[in-house]
Amino acid sequence: MATLVIMPRQGQSVESCIITAFNVKVGDEVKKGDTLFSYETDKSSFDEPSPEDGKVLAIFKEEGDDVPCLENVLVLGADGEDISALVAASATQEEAAAPAAVEAAPAAQPEKAAAVEAPAATDVKVSGAISPRARLLAEKTHVDLLKATPTGPDGRIIERDVQRLCDLGLTVSPAAKDGYTAAVEGTGINGKVVLADLNAPAAPAAAAEASVDAPEYEDVKLPNIRKVIAKSMHQSLSTMAQLTLNTSFDASKLLALRASLKAGAEKMGLANITLNDMVLFAVSKVLLSHKDLNAHYLDDTMRYFKNVNIGIAVDTPRGLMVPTVFASNKLSLNDLSREAKAVITEAQNGTINPDKLKGASFTVTNLGSLGIESFTPVINPPQTGILGVCGITRRVKEVDGEDVTYPAMGLSLTFDHRALDGAPAAKFLKELCFALENFDLLMTK
Amino acid sequence: MPKSQYVDPGKAFESGYIHFEDIPVCQYNKTLAEEKKIYTKDDFLRIYRDMAIIREFETMLNDVKTKSNYNGVEYNNPGPAHLSIGQEASAVGEAYCLDINDFSFGSHRSHGEILAKGLSSIHKLTDEEVYDIMKEFLGGSVLSVVEKHMNGGGNVKELAINFLLYGALAEIFARKTGFNRGLGGSMHAFFIPFGLMPNNAIVGASAPIALGAALYKRANHKKGIIISNCGDGATGRGPVLESLNFASMDQITKLWGMDGKFSSDGMPILFNVFNNHYGMGGQTRGETMGFDMVARLGAGFNPSQMHAERVNGYDPLAVIDAVSRKKELLIQGKGPALLDVVTYRVSGHSPSDSSTYRTAEEIEAWKAADPIVAFKNKLVGGKIATESEIAKLHEDITARMTEIMKLAINDEISPRMDLNKEPDAISSIMFSNEKRVSMEPEREAEMLLPKDECPRVKEIKGKIRTATDANGKPVSKMKMYNICDGLFEPIIDKFYDDATLVAYGEDNRDWGGAFGVYKKMTEAVPYHRFFNSPISESAIVGSAVGYAMCGGRAIVELMYADFIGCAGDEIFNQMAKWQAMSAGILKMPITLRVSVGSKYGAQHSQDWTALCSHIPGLKVVFPATPADAKGLMTSALDGTDPVVFFESQRIYGIGEQFMKDGVPEGHYEIPFGEPDIKREGKDVTILTIGAVLYRALDAAKILEEKYGVSAEIIDARSIVPFNYEKVIESVKKTGKILLVGDACERNSVMRDMASNITEMCFDYLDGPPVVVGSRNWITPAFELESHFFPQADWIIDALHEKIMPLPGHVAKTNFTNIEKVERAKKGL
Repeated sequence: MATLVIMPRQGQSVESCIITAFNVKVGDEVKKGDTLFSYETDKSSFDEPSPEDGKVLAIFKEEGDDVPCLENVLVLGADGEDISALVAASATQEEAAAPAAVEAAPAAQPEKAAAVEAPAATDVKVSGAISPRARLLAEKTHVDLLKATPTGPDGRIIERDVQRLCDLGLTVSPAAKDGYTAAVEGTGINGKVVLADLNAPAAPAAAAEASVDAPEYEDVKLPNIRKVIAKSMHQSLSTMAQLTLNTSFDASKLLALRASLKAGAEKMGLANITLNDMVLFAVSKVLLSHKDLNAHYLDDTMRYFKNVNIGIAVDTPRGLMVPTVFASNKLSLNDLSREAKAVITEAQNGTINPDKLKGASFTVTNLGSLGIESFTPVINPPQTGILGVCGITRRVKEVDGEDVTYPAMGLSLTFDHRALDGAPAAKFLKELCFALENFDLLMTK
Repeated sequence: MPKSQYVDPGKAFESGYIHFEDIPVCQYNKTLAEEKKIYTKDDFLRIYRDMAIIREFETMLNDVKTKSNYNGVEYNNPGPAHLSIGQEASAVGEAYCLDINDFSFGSHRSHGEILAKGLSSIHKLTDEEVYDIMKEFLGGSVLSVVEKHMNGGGNVKELAINFLLYGALAEIFARKTGFNRGLGGSMHAFFIPFGLMPNNAIVGASAPIALGAALYKRANHKKGIIISNCGDGATGRGPVLESLNFASMDQITKLWGMDGKFSSDGMPILFNVFNNHYGMGGQTRGETMGFDMVARLGAGFNPSQMHAERVNGYDPLAVIDAVSRKKELLIQGKGPALLDVVTYRVSGHSPSDSSTYRTAEEIEAWKAADPIVAFKNKLVGGKIATESEIAKLHEDITARMTEIMKLAINDEISPRMDLNKEPDAISSIMFSNEKRVSMEPEREAEMLLPKDECPRVKEIKGKIRTATDANGKPVSKMKMYNICDGLFEPIIDKFYDDATLVAYGEDNRDWGGAFGVYKKMTEAVPYHRFFNSPISESAIVGSAVGYAMCGGRAIVELMYADFIGCAGDEIFNQMAKWQAMSAGILKMPITLRVSVGSKYGAQHSQDWTALCSHIPGLKVVFPATPADAKGLMTSALDGTDPVVFFESQRIYGIGEQFMKDGVPEGHYEIPFGEPDIKREGKDVTILTIGAVLYRALDAAKILEEKYGVSAEIIDARSIVPFNYEKVIESVKKTGKILLVGDACERNSVMRDMASNITEMCFDYLDGPPVVVGSRNWITPAFELESHFFPQADWIIDALHEKIMPLPGHVAKTNFTNIEKVERAKKGL
């Protein structure tokens, strides 16, 4: 009995994945667990293991294909098995769904047979006129017609206008097509408009007015993750009223405790608990009583979270990522530490479940190891606050009339002034500092 | 304008008189005793029988039309029935003198003529001959019906009479078992094997066709004479008068002999007018004509007065006497001849005729003079036959006619063409699509010189067959092989290959055709195959139809395409239709050359490809390069279909720019229907018709250089037939198409093609197919033509305004929809 291997859905938000490499070819014998192919979403990459022993009987996709989730990728089975029905079914899928990636040469010279059988109308709603040829090309390439600049007579969209969209990579995913009525900036692969974008606040449509003349410079396309970061950072700063409060606390106890935890870790079977883990722990505990900072600001509503879902900003080879540890307030320091380590590693390796990259209610970002003394972290919208953890400096304080030095750890809290005022934010910081300075007491809470 | 005949001003102004000979009017006066020496009892009775059969046949048709019942048999015939009751003696008298080598052509009132000549032919042929004819005809399908159901008691002649009556009636009732599978019908019934050539629903249209048949006999030395029958009303038609003149022209006896080398005989044609006094309801003598008697016309056409004579058409023996004397004259080479056969149509023009134009007394008086009754009285009174013999004869005829009718209306035995079962039955006969190098391969062509000694052939040998030389320099006009040469080569080849080929038209011979295509051909081709016609466009084209119908091949020329109107019926109703109306029995190998003018104003500059391609049954081509001219002319002349061959005066002198190795030598054929890509491109397709190709090339150059747009140019070359596949492929590639031609834009071929391309390529189009044609105006003077004919910048403007705006382009002409709507409102 032949087995179909499909493109897995890596999280509810993923509509399609790009196959980066096939490790097998038709005719190869594979063992259960062998990697069949590698693929990636805009945020993560994965290897697909073989579900069983067998022979690769057919492969429907090619490297570089943007394959909708749950679509057939290949067939495993016994030698000589009849898989014609599966092949036919896969071909139908192919016709109905998204064809090749946007980068694939757009059909300047449509292939005869395919073009003749192409279905008639596109589902994308356009207000203006469009030539049948332009419509056909748009259908094949899934370009975002709402972003077309018509240059035909009487405002008609003609072939060259669609061609330009192709060149700019402005496309709409098949899943998003139905609900797509007003142009938005896409966040999918190459700026593809995906379902998620349809609910997002409208951003100004990208001007599709690229010059037709050959440019005097080189355009290098942004990696997807950069585009995502750029977009969310820009949106953050342009739509919120952010301000940052800076403070520091005496980290003597914290450092001492960390040293003892480290020493006893093996004996106690503890994780390698870092200072950052301890900050995360403190934040998780304190934040619950400062609900305005454990919240999402959604225009006319505040969404207060019952637990703390702590986001951890991680520098990865692909760029900034913020994996989440959900309900961190319920975790022991040790568990929190393990959990945090796990998601950080996954993010760094690019294997994280995309669902873990969203849903945080508050974020902690740490530039301490890079010697930063204070900074203005940028909030991850729609969260209302972000805590920047800075490096430890020696400071002087007067104790019993004597100047003594102590290790001071800086904290920079950026909050959204739309969601809360300065005083409550400062109170949170103060309470956090107290908790960190008295971490032993906190642990008993 | 032969140089051999000197036009002497002295003689031209010489004083004197024109002398006329007396024209005999009803001079037949033989006594019964004299007649008995000429005719046997059988002859007398057969003459009577034939008249009686015709009368009964038409009485049956009249009863069916007016009462839907004949002799107790019910039937409804929605088709026409133009009867000739009263005219039987004229028809039988004429047919009595004719055999199957004599071809007769008639009018829409020809049932009598068909039956009379059919009966006469059956009598003259042996049993074997007549049986073979029936067996051969349409694969014996008509014969098998008659043989099975009315075999004449084993008597072949009786069987043949049944065959004749059944074939004609089944044809009239549009049955598949009719003589032309029901596609001709009542007004066009005919039966070629008996020399019964097509009759014609267009009044007077048979005259030029019959003239062409006479030309065929004359030019190809064939036995027999031609009878051109028509009514007196038809003598008011131009084509009839043109034909009387054409047949009488001096050159036939004075020049065609070429000093004894060839025959000097006159045209072997008898124009026989069944003068029944009315053209439908218009009375010719006294109302619509001024000739008093039709016979007078003869005096107007040649000094022999066409041997014109008026005879009593109510007396079959008077008609026999006259027709046999005329036939003798024609055989002696003294044709043409004209007969005015006085008769009367007792029946109405058609069954709906209420005779508002004549009195009841008049009809009664003519009924009293009924030729059949009169002839019966003569036979009985002269003791040639008894009353009871005559009565028995009538009884037999009525019984036979009733059986024939039952057979012809039986849907099982005589079905109509079933276009559900055989959807291609008519499609397959619209064109014959045969390839025949010669229409009479067994006969050697009569020529004056071996081909390689023909001065024009020698001249072309020295020409350069490309527009530019090896270094890319333009070849001098004198040395360059041009479109005229491209046309000439296949034509001269065909003169040597096909003995039947004739070419004529105005100023063809010494002048070499108005535009020099036939230049220096006079030295090689004898007069009777290549001559100047009178300025008679109807007769030129109509005669070609008759010529081709008889088995010859003709090239006729109308000089300017604008003269198509002068030959409208001949092109649109005759040339186009006879192949299909004959159920594919007739072939029509005619090449009609027409030239689209330039510089000559409104009546000498029109591209009428749309008119010709609108009419089913015509092939239409329009080459624009020397090689295409040659290749398409070769195909036209090898084929068996009527071709309207468009040429353009603007480019006759142009050289070959597209074939690197030049126009191919020797036989070079381009199949009809295949457009040709003259310039490859990827951004926009330009489909051109005719000479406008070169303006499109100019436009393509500007588009490339100024706007970086690469235009693909396709030259249609053929209009009917036309293979769209190449155009579709191109449009799939470019998504854009402009259709350009010199014809006025409205209802042009470009419009038709644009509409088809829209249907065929809709999903590939990036804009509507846009037509660039001439303005819907008269053609103005040459100096203003750039405002009328499509120019290169019009093509660019149309692309810019309707399909794909070109950055930086400023349109000079207005192709916008607003302008179009306004123009259409004004009829422009």
